[in-house]
Amino acid sequence: MSDNGQTSERILGDPIVITEDVKKWFGDFQALKGVTATVREREVVVIIGPSGSGKSTYIRCINRLEAHQEGTIIVDGTELTNDIKNVEKIRSEVGMVFQQFNLFPHLTVLDNITLAPQWVRKRPKAEAEEMGMALLEQMGIPEQASKYPGQLSGGQQQRVAIARSLAMEPRIMLFDEPTSALDPEMIKEVLDVMKDLAASGMTMIVVTHEMGFAKEVADRVMFFDYGTIVEEGTPEHFFTNPQHDRTKLFLSQIL
Amino acid sequence: MTVQVREHQKTPLWRNATVLKWAAQLFVLGAILAVFALLVSQALTNFASSDISFGWQWLSSPTGVQLREGIDVVPDSGARALLVGIVNTLRVAISGIFAATILGTLIGISRLSKNWIVNKIATVYIETIRNIPLLVQIFFWSALAVTLPALTADDVGEYFFKVSNKGFAFAGIFPGLGWLPWLMFVIVGFFVGRYVAKRRKKYQEDTGKPGHGGRYWFGIVLLSGIIGWFAWPLLGFMSHVFGAIESFVDGLPPVVFPIIIALAAIVGSMWWIRNFFESRRTPAGFGKMTDDDWFRVIFAGVSGVTVAVLAFVVGGFSLETVAGDTQSVAELIRTVIGNFFGWLSAAFAGDVSTIVAETQMRVREGGPLVFSKPAVVLLGAGIPQYARTGLVITVPFFAIWTGVTLYTAAFIAEIVRGGILAVPKGQTEAAQAMGFRRGQYLRLIILPQAFRIILPPMGNQYLNLAKNTSLGLAVAYADIVAVGFTIMNQTGQSLPVVVVWMAFFVTMSLTISAIVNYYNRKMMLVER
Amino acid sequence: MTDMMVAPELEIPPEPPPKGPALWMRENLFSTPASAFMTIVASIIVVLAYRGLLAFVFDPKGRWDAVTFNMKLLMVQAYPAEDLWRVWLSVGFIIVLAAASFAVWRLGGMAEPRNVGRGLMGLGGAIVLGGVLAPFSTSGRIIWIVTGAVILAAGWAMRNLTGERAKDPVIPTMGLVGIAMLIIIALIWTVDLPWPSRDVDGNQIIVQEPIATTTTIPWTLIFALAAIVYVIFRLLGARSSGGAIKGTLTTLWVLSFPVLLLIVLRDPDLDTSKVVSLYLPVFVVFSVVGWLLLAFVSRPKTGEVGRVIGAVLLVVAVISFAFPMPFVIRFLLLLLALFALAAPTFGGEGAANRRYLFGWVGTVLVTTVAALVISSESLVEVPGSFFLGGLSLTIVLAFTSIVLSFPLGIILALARTSTMPIFRLLATTYIELVRGVPLITWLLVAFLMLPVALPNGIEVGGVMRAIGAMTLFNAAYLAENVRGGLQSIHTGQREASKALGLSTLQETVFITLPQALRAVIPALVGQVIATFKDTSLVTIVGLFDLLHMARQVIPAQSQPFSFLGSIKWTLVFAALVYWVFTFTFSRVSQRLEKKLGVGER
Repeated sequence: MSDNGQTSERILGDPIVITEDVKKWFGDFQALKGVTATVREREVVVIIGPSGSGKSTYIRCINRLEAHQEGTIIVDGTELTNDIKNVEKIRSEVGMVFQQFNLFPHLTVLDNITLAPQWVRKRPKAEAEEMGMALLEQMGIPEQASKYPGQLSGGQQQRVAIARSLAMEPRIMLFDEPTSALDPEMIKEVLDVMKDLAASGMTMIVVTHEMGFAKEVADRVMFFDYGTIVEEGTPEHFFTNPQHDRTKLFLSQIL
Repeated sequence: MTVQVREHQKTPLWRNATVLKWAAQLFVLGAILAVFALLVSQALTNFASSDISFGWQWLSSPTGVQLREGIDVVPDSGARALLVGIVNTLRVAISGIFAATILGTLIGISRLSKNWIVNKIATVYIETIRNIPLLVQIFFWSALAVTLPALTADDVGEYFFKVSNKGFAFAGIFPGLGWLPWLMFVIVGFFVGRYVAKRRKKYQEDTGKPGHGGRYWFGIVLLSGIIGWFAWPLLGFMSHVFGAIESFVDGLPPVVFPIIIALAAIVGSMWWIRNFFESRRTPAGFGKMTDDDWFRVIFAGVSGVTVAVLAFVVGGFSLETVAGDTQSVAELIRTVIGNFFGWLSAAFAGDVSTIVAETQMRVREGGPLVFSKPAVVLLGAGIPQYARTGLVITVPFFAIWTGVTLYTAAFIAEIVRGGILAVPKGQTEAAQAMGFRRGQYLRLIILPQAFRIILPPMGNQYLNLAKNTSLGLAVAYADIVAVGFTIMNQTGQSLPVVVVWMAFFVTMSLTISAIVNYYNRKMMLVER
Repeated sequence: MTDMMVAPELEIPPEPPPKGPALWMRENLFSTPASAFMTIVASIIVVLAYRGLLAFVFDPKGRWDAVTFNMKLLMVQAYPAEDLWRVWLSVGFIIVLAAASFAVWRLGGMAEPRNVGRGLMGLGGAIVLGGVLAPFSTSGRIIWIVTGAVILAAGWAMRNLTGERAKDPVIPTMGLVGIAMLIIIALIWTVDLPWPSRDVDGNQIIVQEPIATTTTIPWTLIFALAAIVYVIFRLLGARSSGGAIKGTLTTLWVLSFPVLLLIVLRDPDLDTSKVVSLYLPVFVVFSVVGWLLLAFVSRPKTGEVGRVIGAVLLVVAVISFAFPMPFVIRFLLLLLALFALAAPTFGGEGAANRRYLFGWVGTVLVTTVAALVISSESLVEVPGSFFLGGLSLTIVLAFTSIVLSFPLGIILALARTSTMPIFRLLATTYIELVRGVPLITWLLVAFLMLPVALPNGIEVGGVMRAIGAMTLFNAAYLAENVRGGLQSIHTGQREASKALGLSTLQETVFITLPQALRAVIPALVGQVIATFKDTSLVTIVGLFDLLHMARQVIPAQSQPFSFLGSIKWTLVFAALVYWVFTFTFSRVSQRLEKKLGVGER
């Protein structure tokens, strides 16, 4: 793999997420069968693959929502072990956006965003709220600040979820099928926000089925199947000239 | 670019999440065990200083307890007194559960009735009963029953039914001499009948001709009942079988029982560990165990060994008794098991006194079941009293039974109502569209579906009812708590009695929830 | 024990159509032959039951004098008469506080005229029917029928003459409550109640006496004050959003119970020398040392050294129990350890840290004051072991055990749903063992076994034992309720808070618990009601609660008047008191539930 597949003017930095031969079992089911990959700073990596191929498990291992059992994961120079200090450090540097938004229904939109900066980053309340409002502004929904998540549409909720992660000022953002639970007309508003984010130089690892997004934004596309990376490459290379039979089959089914 | 995977660093112990987790757990466990040990040792010291030492001899020695009602009013041992208490508790609990279910269901349906006045009556009933403490209600029923007319010397005689401030007396059918052998016939008939019924059902499915499984089943039970009625003495030989088991158990050295318990504990923990390893076995090989998993395995193993060692330690304890002699726990277990088989042996020999040990007033005889009428007789000092020849509902029984039944019925009514309302409205509409009348669709469509929703909370209410019978203590009903309390006062053996209470109630709770869970699972299967 | 099995919204009110009564009866009473039959049978039952009830209530030979004469016994047992103002003060404070809260949170709501009219018609009808059925004198009968007819007519007018407006919610409920209060005030000034007396031959008879002015005047004052306070707060509330007022009222509610119970009702004999020699130094030392320690520990730079300090403090606190020292010091050490352990989580820099440190000083203050007050002698001297009895004891038992069982229940629920197997095992064992055995058994254990299990020198009074047993018992039930709420939370919530970097403690406090508790409010209310009813069990172990007065003390009295055989009347009165409390509570909580649920789901 080389750097020749860059599609934007972003200049890739040093490796920030390094995974080496990562294996993970759920009981007797092996979800990851040795995944080795490196993501560099400011890079946008899109992971695609059939359901159950281990792609969600992989990114959930990166901020240790799941603990891998073998191999090494190094995020921003810190290795993920059961050292509580490392876990704390990594969680506050890696943001994550979920398929089901997972907003806190008992808190207002603004409180959802300011909770973690206040109590994890120890920001004063006023400062956190100021930043929260700025982020909502950026997401295009400042008027929803005092509403509860249940009163928002799916697309708005997902944008709040993105704002909530960004409020922690993460260096890496993980997206776990961010548009899969949305109605078609709301998908675009979320993807637009993600594109802006990519353009601003955020390091992003995105699990998605949106091939358009992959073609347009990704620096690199990875295809997962049966717990391994079957194929990876630049979007042009990947979509126009796939090498592997399983990749071809998968692409023929979804395109 | 070069990827630098650094050497796998060692996590310091005080930052290792797994170690911290287990350290915290073990610390709390140790602290709790320490407090517990402190309290128990303090209690034992305090009792020792007041010349009371705990033992279990009172179970087999006379305690001088006299009870107001039950299968034996002057029990000859503590164990027998407890048995009387247990039977009394179960009497209220089981009959109360049935009555409360019927009443509660009726009220719950009335609460949904379109008839305004019926609806209002049900509402007032629920809101009144539910918001008044059960104990107040029990005292009220007791106070009410005491105002009934008193028995006088003129009342002496036999009756079918009699009311007085001593309670209500009914004629009834009671177990007689051949009760247990006869019951064996009926039970065998029941299972044979079930087998035949299944065969008939299969026959029906295979051939399409009517199988009449239910009729066969009923007929076989009836037939075995009739045969058993005359043939029950034939089972007398069972008496010898049980007698032989009894003498075998009595002949065992006491140490056998700790060995059995210890073996069970070790085998159990080994079995658990084996299963655990099995579940962690992966196609890629063995040993994908997290630190957490290892801790689990170690904990299970240590627990098994601890229980095994404890079985020997406790089994060897010699408990000094009220009578002054000693008996080890292992010997006590042997005595209890032996006595159980001795009781079975006596029952099959037709020794009725061990089944329904009657009072000084009457001995039931004859076949498996006897019909008997209540009588009013004059006791020693010329005080009129019910002879225990009929079914006598005493004032305490009446108070506690009425109290728990009416109280629980109010809660059951709310559960039934909620369950019915939870059945989708479309079901009612569909049933109405098909021309069912209200009574029909309630019975055939709505209630069976509501039953599934109702069952779990209903099980909770049954548990509550069973536990609430313990309030019998307040009106001197001789239930397990009242009997235990009396024994406590007579012998000072408070700790053992508390252990008996807990064992009894926890067993009862587990039994009821097991029954409810069984039906619940069955329902779930039907649903699929 | 779960009283609230079904959400109240499910109720189907029998909606009377605005058509004629004949049509209404045909639809709701005689729709089918079976229904008509049931109506007739039910009507007969209602008439007989109503007649029986009235005959019991208005029986001239009824022993209601046992209730009226012993009212003080039923309410506060032997509380000294010259100190009764303390009781009135407490009752008055709670009622006035409730009035203010109703005004500020606008719990009153509006009623529709047709509903009010229907209620009035029902009331009037019941009174008329009572007049016809009950065995009154002719004049009494006429008064009943006329009163009933007037109310009936008023209700009918309100329902039918308001036209279209009958369906608009225009009548403030609190106005109706005010009118009801006025009527109650009028009644206690005018109505005579049965009272025991002796005729010329010295035989005990029942006469009708007006209610004592010592009872009527405080009630009138309290109700008047409550009304005034309500109006004032309504006006205040209309001007501002009321955030500060709400905060103050909440604080008052939290403080009211311990302050009223321990200081007003108990009147502790505060020993100045003890304050100066022990409590003041303890307060100063713990505030200052704790402040410095926590400030150090909560600094983000301190890192895991803080955790080590917390753990060491915890061990020290545990060890302190083995050495003789004032209890308050042990308790504060334990609190300091917990505060230190939680400091990295809740402390921090700037305002948050200051809030945390002031929270510590506040905790120290409350703890030392409470320890001082509890350890002081009570100046209110009554025979018996506790200064309250009757209904007041019932309330104290219920309230204290509920409040104390909440933290324990939450901890148990968290332990039972934890991923740590030993915690789960311990919690499950505790919960199942405690729930499997009836409360009366635990009370007997607390009264028979506990005294011998405690180390020499520690004695626990009867009331404390009952509170302890009920707290431990309740905690197991609460834990199961809370567990239901915890399990209803989607796993995504937990994952999201983890991904944001929240620690487990922060996740529990900010995310899981608020959602779990909100989800199980109905079950928790049911548990509170069950606890209130369960307090009646203490009569079996001989505490002088309301039920004990009613079933044991009063019916056994023979001096100065004999109340032998009056148990039926005293029991009915006790039942009525319990009913009023539980019924009111369940209705108010339903209202609160609706109010709290708004806009948050």
